[in-house]
Amino acid sequence: MITSPAPSQTAVARQWFLARADLDALIEAIRETGRRVIGPTIRESAIVYDEIQTAADLPAGWRDEQSAGRYRLERRSDDHVFGYTVGPTSWKRFTFPPNLTIATAHRSSFGFEQQVADAPPVAFLGVRACELAALAVQDRVFLGSQFTDEDYRARRAAAFIVAVQCTTCSSTCFCTSMGTGPEVRGGYDIMLTEIEEGFVIQAGSPGGAAIVAKLPTRRPSHAEAGAAVDNVESVRTQMGEPLPMAGIGERLKLQLDHPRWGQVADRCVECGSCTMVCPTCFCTSVVEKSDLDGKTSSTERQWDSCFDVAFAKVAGGDFRARPRDRYRQWLTHKFSTWWDQFESSGCVGCGRCIAWCPVRIDIREELAAIAPPIPPVVHPVAVAPVAASPGTYSVARLASVRAETEDTTTLSLTDLDPAFLAGRPGQFVMVALPAFPAVPISISRFRADHIDLTIRAVGPTSTALVNLHPGAKVGLRGPLGTFWPIEEAYGRHAVVVAGGVGLSPLHGLVDALAANHDRFESVSLFYGSRTPEDQLFRDDLAAWSAGKAIDVAVTVDRAGPEWKGRVGVVTTLFDMISWDCSKVTAFVVGPERMMQSSVQGLISKGVPADRICVSMERHMECGIGLCGHCQMAGRFVCKDGPVFRLDELGDMFNREGI
Amino acid sequence: MATPGRTARPRVAVVKFASCDGCQLTLLDLEDQLLEIVSRFDIVEFPEATSRRSPGPYDIVFVEGSVSAPEHIDAIKELRKQARILVTIGACATAGGIQALRNWADHDAFRAAIYEHPEWIESLAMATPVSDHIKVDAELRGCPIDGGQLAELLTSVLVGRRPQIRDEAVCRECKRKGIVCIVVAAGEACMGPVTTSGCNALCPTYARGCYGCFGPRANANAKSWSAGMLKSGRPPEEVWRLFAGFTGYAEPFRTVITELGKAKAKG
Repeated sequence: MITSPAPSQTAVARQWFLARADLDALIEAIRETGRRVIGPTIRESAIVYDEIQTAADLPAGWRDEQSAGRYRLERRSDDHVFGYTVGPTSWKRFTFPPNLTIATAHRSSFGFEQQVADAPPVAFLGVRACELAALAVQDRVFLGSQFTDEDYRARRAAAFIVAVQCTTCSSTCFCTSMGTGPEVRGGYDIMLTEIEEGFVIQAGSPGGAAIVAKLPTRRPSHAEAGAAVDNVESVRTQMGEPLPMAGIGERLKLQLDHPRWGQVADRCVECGSCTMVCPTCFCTSVVEKSDLDGKTSSTERQWDSCFDVAFAKVAGGDFRARPRDRYRQWLTHKFSTWWDQFESSGCVGCGRCIAWCPVRIDIREELAAIAPPIPPVVHPVAVAPVAASPGTYSVARLASVRAETEDTTTLSLTDLDPAFLAGRPGQFVMVALPAFPAVPISISRFRADHIDLTIRAVGPTSTALVNLHPGAKVGLRGPLGTFWPIEEAYGRHAVVVAGGVGLSPLHGLVDALAANHDRFESVSLFYGSRTPEDQLFRDDLAAWSAGKAIDVAVTVDRAGPEWKGRVGVVTTLFDMISWDCSKVTAFVVGPERMMQSSVQGLISKGVPADRICVSMERHMECGIGLCGHCQMAGRFVCKDGPVFRLDELGDMFNREGI
Repeated sequence: MATPGRTARPRVAVVKFASCDGCQLTLLDLEDQLLEIVSRFDIVEFPEATSRRSPGPYDIVFVEGSVSAPEHIDAIKELRKQARILVTIGACATAGGIQALRNWADHDAFRAAIYEHPEWIESLAMATPVSDHIKVDAELRGCPIDGGQLAELLTSVLVGRRPQIRDEAVCRECKRKGIVCIVVAAGEACMGPVTTSGCNALCPTYARGCYGCFGPRANANAKSWSAGMLKSGRPPEEVWRLFAGFTGYAEPFRTVITELGKAKAKG
């Protein structure tokens, strides 16, 4: 594998100034070493790379104005030689020729002969940072594995690189997004940076140093050296905010069925121009050319394109039959699967595919539409509880009372300390009445100025609470405990599994998932109760089912003939799961036995254990980890829980008697 | 038959229907290979080259021209019976050719405008490609066809393999050749993205937009290309003319022309 020329410390560190008028001396010095010089020159209204003889062949005083599907040359107000960006040619034309005879065969002797690369020494003049990155990408493709392309190796090794740092950019440029430019970081023999009067020049290899030594240079002034740095830095500013590329590979893989693939394919004419101008695209096909009777033949390799209708065809059919399949192949290869194959991006941000697309497709827009950046996950911090100490309570007023089932009632509280409204789904409050011991009750719902507590009357306090009338006062401490890590499910399938009154601590979570449903791949609720009459929140269940935000499936353990729905335990609903379960985040609450079987069911479907959250129930008196009642192995359920990720609990979760 | 040699030379006929003879001449233009070709093929019927006639059956029949007159229909069916391999050559035979533009016009009005005695002219209201009437074994596209593709087809018959003729956009040939895209860099109208290659990007090489003479590629997205040209400000008449050239009657160009025609009639 070719690596960057080893930079000699002194050579790299030392900068020189070369006057613009002396650029010919550089070209001449290179030519004297027996190299042809390939550089930028104007042909057919564009700056292309071709053989140049003198500096007069270079595009001094020209700039390129580029946008999607448009390229125009315009006069500059100065005589800068490299005051353009990149044109339709890329250096792969010279390291990886578009047409190449790779072998010949003779039927008379039944012999096959490989064509040996004819790679005379050459110099590439004007190689930009993104183009150096592209050469490095193709190095990995052609030379980075067990099987190599020797023709490429020979041509690459024959090339002496004169890099130029960009001092201007086009609207199609996005090297700063791909981390490839505008500054040149290595991989060159000589580097030029254009400033007002000429160039700051430095060598990056012994060969480069030998050439620089022959030039009529002087040391740059402090101002000249500073201008070189500023000119490159100004390009970074001109290019604006980099695109959010973090995780683009994974983001694309999550969007293989996005409708935008079809929409962009409707615009795409599949001419393949993007793949031809791309400096990293490497696909080829071979044709056998023979004389009339096939006695001698040659194998001609040509640049091919994944947009070709025959590219993925076999005798039985076409693996990428639809235009959307082919467009998806191109974009996902560049930004996603290239990483899997070559441990780098396949895109260097040169923007050629944007400028040279005749139907003006801008891959930056497609990426943003298909795989938008996942908003950074902000893990909220629990609000500080009020009246934390046992014995101190914040007083709230009971606004309304609603019976859920025969023994379960929802109390809606208002006139609250704002801390309660700022609580998070999954948290609980300690509720007290004078003369009654405080009980922990999870907050089932957060509204603008109310919280709901859904209480099953099982003891003296809970029975007293459900018998209160609107207007009554209650004492609250909280909000307490951990909460559902909703943000960890962004971009995934959020699955809520509830059993019986377990839906109560999940109600606020379901509300939050529904409100943010476009942040998730999907949102589902599986709810099981003993009988239809035991279902909590029947109006809400009906509303969720009717809406589009969540998929709701309910089942009951047993029911009379009037029940038309599913019968069976909640885990029987799991056969409806059709997604890739490695992308599921699950939230499970119910009786402990139900949680254990649900967790087992989810794991057997492939849901990772660290993507399952449960809410545990234990005896709690203080709610803040002081009284000791709720200990579960090393955890206080009240303050380390009640919401736990399954991996936090380890095998304590399934163990009896803990 | 794949054995070369004088005694087993395949019998070749070159025939024409409504056409200009330019594609047949491509065979004669293969100057360097011509002697080799006639030594390996027995060209028995070729009115453009010789007045000697020879009835079928033939091993290969090259058919130039569209089906444009009533007698063409019977003649092409008879040729099919006489041919082991029937190859249509050129835009007329493969797509109906420029004469198929009458398929969108009033045929009788055309005849009346041109001929003093239109009643003496026997022609069909529609000019159609040969494949509308008989099964065709291979097509060589273009106006005229490409000599290299013709030589490849002849080679493939002798060698006994399928001809290696690509179906890709003209853009691909431009890019491999290093031709700067005249659509992007000069704002020219060009049919290259939707037209199949084979000409080695002849027109763009001379800074002219592709005329589409090789006809639409398989699955050509003509709809997007015409929509794009309209959106960039080209008048519908101009876009209509670009598609309604040598191969306008071939789908999907035909649909674009018909749709633009409807819009024109409405507008």
